[in-house]
Amino acid sequence: MKRYYVMGLFSNFEEAFSTISEIRQHAIPGVTVDDVTLKSPIEHPEIEEILGDRGSPVPKFSLFGAIFGAIFGFLFLASAQANFLTQPQGGKAIITLPSNIVLSYEMLILFGVLSTVIGFMINARLMTKRHPLYSEKVSLDQVGVMLELDEKNVDSLKELFKKHKVLEIREEVSQ
Amino acid sequence: MQTKDINENIAWAKINEDVLRSMENPRMGYWVALAACVAMIMCAVLAEIYQYQVGMGPSGLNWPHMWDLYIATFVFWIGMSHSGTLLSAILHIIQADWRKPIYRFAEAMTLFSLMTAGLFPIIHLGRVWNMYWVLPYVSDRGIWPNFRSPLVWDAFAITTYMTSSALFLFIGMIPDLAICRDNARGWRQKLYTVLSLGWQGDDRQWRHFRRIYLMMACFLIPLAVSVHSIVSADFAMSIMPGWHVTTFPPYFVAGALYSGCAAIITLFILLRYFFRFDEYMTIPIMEKTCKLTFAIAMVWTYLNLIEFAATWYGHDPVAKELLIQKFIGPHAPFFWTMLFCGSVLPFTLAFEKLRRHMPTMFVVSLFLNLGMWLERWMIVTPTLSFSHQPFAWDIMWPSMVQWAIVFGSFGWFGMLFLIFVKVFPSVSMYEVKEMVFHRRHYHSDELESKFHRRAGDRQSDADPSREGA
Amino acid sequence: MSLKNILENWSHYRRAHEEGGHHEYEHMWGMAIDLNKCTGCNACSVACYAENNLPTVGKDRMRKGQGLHWLRMERYWDEPDLGGDDKEYQERGGSFLPMMCQHCNAATCEPVCPVAATYHTPDGLNAQVYNRCIGSRYCSNNCPYRLRYFNFYSYYEESWPEPLNMQLNPDLSVRDKGVMEKCTFCIQRIRTGKDAAQREGREVKDGDVVTACAQTCPTEAIVFGDLLDKDAQVTKLWKAQEVELGRAKQDKSDGELRGYRVLEGLNTDPCVMYMDRVREA
Repeated sequence: MKRYYVMGLFSNFEEAFSTISEIRQHAIPGVTVDDVTLKSPIEHPEIEEILGDRGSPVPKFSLFGAIFGAIFGFLFLASAQANFLTQPQGGKAIITLPSNIVLSYEMLILFGVLSTVIGFMINARLMTKRHPLYSEKVSLDQVGVMLELDEKNVDSLKELFKKHKVLEIREEVSQ
Repeated sequence: MQTKDINENIAWAKINEDVLRSMENPRMGYWVALAACVAMIMCAVLAEIYQYQVGMGPSGLNWPHMWDLYIATFVFWIGMSHSGTLLSAILHIIQADWRKPIYRFAEAMTLFSLMTAGLFPIIHLGRVWNMYWVLPYVSDRGIWPNFRSPLVWDAFAITTYMTSSALFLFIGMIPDLAICRDNARGWRQKLYTVLSLGWQGDDRQWRHFRRIYLMMACFLIPLAVSVHSIVSADFAMSIMPGWHVTTFPPYFVAGALYSGCAAIITLFILLRYFFRFDEYMTIPIMEKTCKLTFAIAMVWTYLNLIEFAATWYGHDPVAKELLIQKFIGPHAPFFWTMLFCGSVLPFTLAFEKLRRHMPTMFVVSLFLNLGMWLERWMIVTPTLSFSHQPFAWDIMWPSMVQWAIVFGSFGWFGMLFLIFVKVFPSVSMYEVKEMVFHRRHYHSDELESKFHRRAGDRQSDADPSREGA
Repeated sequence: MSLKNILENWSHYRRAHEEGGHHEYEHMWGMAIDLNKCTGCNACSVACYAENNLPTVGKDRMRKGQGLHWLRMERYWDEPDLGGDDKEYQERGGSFLPMMCQHCNAATCEPVCPVAATYHTPDGLNAQVYNRCIGSRYCSNNCPYRLRYFNFYSYYEESWPEPLNMQLNPDLSVRDKGVMEKCTFCIQRIRTGKDAAQREGREVKDGDVVTACAQTCPTEAIVFGDLLDKDAQVTKLWKAQEVELGRAKQDKSDGELRGYRVLEGLNTDPCVMYMDRVREA
């Protein structure tokens, strides 16, 4: 089935947001706000209010990484110390808690950070090809609203875009 | 007089243009500076080759001065690395948006000073070729590093900090790299295409981006504090007088933020002057940085006084003798210079006239960092000169080999930084856009003028346009 | 696996240092040095140089503090009560302190070594593994006695010109640059003594092992032996002076007791006891 991608470029957030608001109120039947992708040069604090809370599992990755790092770190250090027979004593225990706490803490942060970055890469779909409708103007100063929709809705969407002073409309058909 | 952190009417396109311009066509002066840095590095390389061949002897180290400038300079560079985290993570969390135009180069500074600092523990080893023994790799002989040693903690902490701050710098730069990608040609375009990881600014990316930035900031703040606490543990965990000090971890962290802030001021002025970033690195932002530096300087001074008082009233005869030696002994000139640079000179930052005068601030910031470098030297060396065993009291002066390597480390840092400013945007474009956008939309002009009005100011009656981003 | 190992032996790994770590102590080599007998003649130091292949570094490097002297004779001239200010008979105020590695049981140098090149042996010795040392020199910095020395150069290249290299002790190595070293209580002699005892099928007895310094001391001021051996002379001396391992502060109320360990207050628990010099007031 053919899918149509249509992107409208707007000169500012207000126009883009009012377009999305109309889509949210079902200005075009069969098109919901979930089909909308907003492309912007900055992170706008109200994006989530307009698009709805789409959530982000990145903090979960951080939590997992941190817990893994701390536990793995401590066990790694303790088992290394326990198997290391000719280690210095200095009147101290073989598995020393203060040093292991310090090092496990570093491991907590290291693994937490790495896991967060991996989570970000996966969730933000980085390291994939850019969308064919990507416009360099988005990285400059324009706001793009992109929708994925059926052929029958394309024209009404363009009408909607034009109503909100769209600067440019681009479209793309995929198989 | 300029009172606004940034002019909120700057067009977004102009921001892109200004920053991208700064990355293009290095002028003659740039190449001269780069060549000077490379020449400085060569001094250090020659000294290191000599030291590698002959042993640690030529460095002038002796018994009992087993550490000297190498470790002092190591602590200095580690300290300087804390500024980037302060600006990008702490100020991000407390939502001080004036950090936005200046945090990028501060973060780069963090990374590069860590890369400089990391060299010193390696250089100072007697058997450099075996340095990897400090790493916890699995060996079939069942030998591990000694996890009790603060030097191993250093290795862990620095590795973690270097990885994390490099990632933080990189992640924060992705949207800017995408801008560069869209505007570059040739090898630059290839580089930025790879580095920007296919960033296209859609809402999914921004949403996760905001989360990761916050999470990374949350990780980096305790990490930065722990890194310099661990570096201070190199000293505080020992039993030597003048090193075995309970207040060392906060003292080191304060000193680190202090020298980092001073370095930010230095680089701020340089970038502002050479790249004509007057519109982004504005005087009010400079003032805020100066105030921050002043506050940290006072914390540092306080912790210094605490240390003196604790030593004096602690009645540990050895520590007390060492303290007296610091004040009137052979190291006294450096010690007093350090106190002057660290505690008296920052009062210049308290005066608005001086704060707004760039050349003064440039000189002052250099002296602040001189004071901070001396501080580290005065922590390391007097303890070795005057410790428990009076028979082992000695005085030494570091040889040219040590000075050359310390000198070269500044060249190394300078080279990395110079390359950075021409390859990567040294002002965060997307965040300056955010800052401008926020100020335009969410700042009430009445409040603005109320808070920022000073005597002699003219009332600004220009209504900032709300048209078009 | 190691996780099982940790869980099963947790209390051992947490408490064993109170008994000696991974091992029971087989010996606890120690010394007693009577400063009353010490004349400061430096024979011990010379013997140490000969026994342990210590390089002579030359005047310039010695002056720079880059020499190695595992056993050094510390001389203090600053006791005015005893006539140190007396220009004519200055030596009246002089006092000597032969210092060698104190082989602390709670050695401050051990836990700071990043690569575990220094550790405690089952003999109660503070051992230095030259092959493992990477020369971070932290141990020397953290030794309150400053008894660790560093090879700042490849001293062996110049210290024993032909045919002096023939006099090197074959029982131990010659150290290269970049390595920390210190007094070993003549570990090669301890090894020889233990081997001999094992060949004869008996326990090591007092007198089997004598360090070079103790052997050379003309006034027999240095006594070396096993502190775990009840009959050893060194044990008797420690007992007579009421000095014990594991006790940070010795009772000095009895004027007859002269025993002390250097910088005991730091709780390093050294294995060398000194007996204070008694003087006429």
